[in-house]
Amino acid sequence: MFDVVLQGLQQVFVPLNFVLLFAGVFLGITFGALPGLTATMGLALLVPFTFTMSPESGLIMLAGIYVGAMYGDAIPAILINTPGTPSAIATTFDGFPLAQKGMAQHALVTAALASTIGSLLANVVLVVAGPPLAAASLKFGPPEYFWLGIFGLTIISALSSGSVIKGFLAGCIGMVLSAVGMASIGGDVRLTFGYPILQGGIDLIVALIGFFCLPEILTSVIGKRRKTYTEKAVEPKLAVIGEVAMKIVKKPLLLLRSAVIGTIVGFAPGAGGNIASMVSYNEARRWSKDPDKYGKGTIDGVAASESANSAMAPGSLIPLLTLGIPGSPAAAVILGALMVHRLKPGADLFTGPEASIIYSFLMGLLVAAFLVSFIGSFGSVIFSRIINIPSRYLAPGIIFMTVLGAYAIRNSMLDVWIMFVFGIIGFVSRKLNFHPAPIVLGLILGPFIEEGLVKSVLAGQFQGVFNYMVFRPISGVLIALCVLSLCWPLIASWRLKKKKGEVA
Amino acid sequence: MSDTHDDGNMKRINSDLVISVIGLVLAGVVYYFTRDLSRLGVIFVNYVLIGLTVFSVLVLIKAFTKPEHIMFFDSVVERNNIVIGVSILLVYLLALPVIGFLPASYIFYFCFNLYLSEERFTRKSILTSVLLSALVVTLFYCIFQLGLGVPLPTAMWVD
Repeated sequence: MFDVVLQGLQQVFVPLNFVLLFAGVFLGITFGALPGLTATMGLALLVPFTFTMSPESGLIMLAGIYVGAMYGDAIPAILINTPGTPSAIATTFDGFPLAQKGMAQHALVTAALASTIGSLLANVVLVVAGPPLAAASLKFGPPEYFWLGIFGLTIISALSSGSVIKGFLAGCIGMVLSAVGMASIGGDVRLTFGYPILQGGIDLIVALIGFFCLPEILTSVIGKRRKTYTEKAVEPKLAVIGEVAMKIVKKPLLLLRSAVIGTIVGFAPGAGGNIASMVSYNEARRWSKDPDKYGKGTIDGVAASESANSAMAPGSLIPLLTLGIPGSPAAAVILGALMVHRLKPGADLFTGPEASIIYSFLMGLLVAAFLVSFIGSFGSVIFSRIINIPSRYLAPGIIFMTVLGAYAIRNSMLDVWIMFVFGIIGFVSRKLNFHPAPIVLGLILGPFIEEGLVKSVLAGQFQGVFNYMVFRPISGVLIALCVLSLCWPLIASWRLKKKKGEVA
Repeated sequence: MSDTHDDGNMKRINSDLVISVIGLVLAGVVYYFTRDLSRLGVIFVNYVLIGLTVFSVLVLIKAFTKPEHIMFFDSVVERNNIVIGVSILLVYLLALPVIGFLPASYIFYFCFNLYLSEERFTRKSILTSVLLSALVVTLFYCIFQLGLGVPLPTAMWVD
């Protein structure tokens, strides 16, 4: 195996391939950074260009795009509170508050380094233990997906700082929104009010732009007439890269835990980077000695989210390369590219004559992770200056881009109107101390939970739905995690009281 | 909402009451429009409706026992700014399919930039707004329409 890995690495460092990889990472970052464009769209647009290339070159370039986009989405999440893709939603929770404190560069460097570390760890898992883990991914049935979704919902207790009840109410509103469109099982058309385009449901990116970006502009720039987008200007320095790197290496447990969560969520087919980053953020907060700092601007929150969503990318390739099951929409596009280059997914892919090609791809992912840390860290000096631009210039540009991004998803003005309405709802809900983040969480997890629930009801009708959903090993673990997660605030408060009692 | 308190020019509102009423109305609307779904299509919706109703009722109880009063706008100036800003955006969205992407976006960018500017009608300010709107809108038009092939809205009279 070691020989093939080396061959793959050599292929990556062939000058043409390296240039393609670099270009891929750069394009990926651009696609990830522009709201409305995603890794999947970037891959789908560029796959045809790889047809004429050798399989190694084509796949190496795609590896660059995939890894680059996983980082790129953090840039607008940190700078303008707008996740470039749904995977970066948890990055906004601490990234934007950091930017508000004048520490946008710290957040950007953290995102780049954490993305690299998450991606590296997941790549190692993919290369070393891909096939056995792929077999484990088949044990994820409808009940496991249902419980994973419910576990994801428990993050609401962390997101709703004021009132948990209001947080869960917001989560329910989000799940109602997720029910809009054609039901994935049964095919019922729900709550479309006669608009055919709504049969595809409410697009997540439209909702993200509406709930996160517009309210920020309405509140700070238009309402309060703040002169810059953030309260404090950024003064980027190269020294920040070293400073953040030193802080990051002192958090191996946080990074490892986030990467493991990202990899596991990635290899469960269908779960995406958004779930990975939110579960990871929640766990980082739960296990932190100072959970109150989360949501107020800590690099730990950014690291947890970015490490997990970047680890998800190689994780989603585990079932793809070994079983032919794409773990994410982007992985489905890569499957298409593999097919075009006559590579058939399966265990033979790692041992057969095509092994050198597939290891070139895997090594491409690995080297792309390093390129992300390079481009992301040094690029932070330039990227972070964006928010120093006076808001009178920046805000119209951001609004214009959000309109363009929302429209470009389905070439529909209805999406733009939905974005506008969500923006107003987001603004009003913020004013009412009713944070819209749980609404988005419900919207993301709704389809996931519904599919798991309805399939479980169908599959479990003979042995009893309750038995089918509960008495399974992975379900048991996930249920225990849900209970722990819900009870955690009580446990934490008991621990705090005990500690105070000891001190007294 | 009826439960309001005066605070100078601005009124304080019972945010819990507003949220719970919105939740209950939404639950009612969703229930009404999902009555005729098939057994499979309605399973998830029903569970969510139960959750929505229960949490709305809990917030409603809080609205009467331990209400949270908030002031929606900090000042009249802030309220006016928001109303004007939202109106400009609304006009832009309405104009997009009527006069087409490029003209609507040039006008929107120019007007919004000028509106946010402190020295609104100076020659320098107007010139900067014109140049910026031309540059930014044209750049993104080239990327999306010409580069990525996204068919952007055209004017009503263009086929």
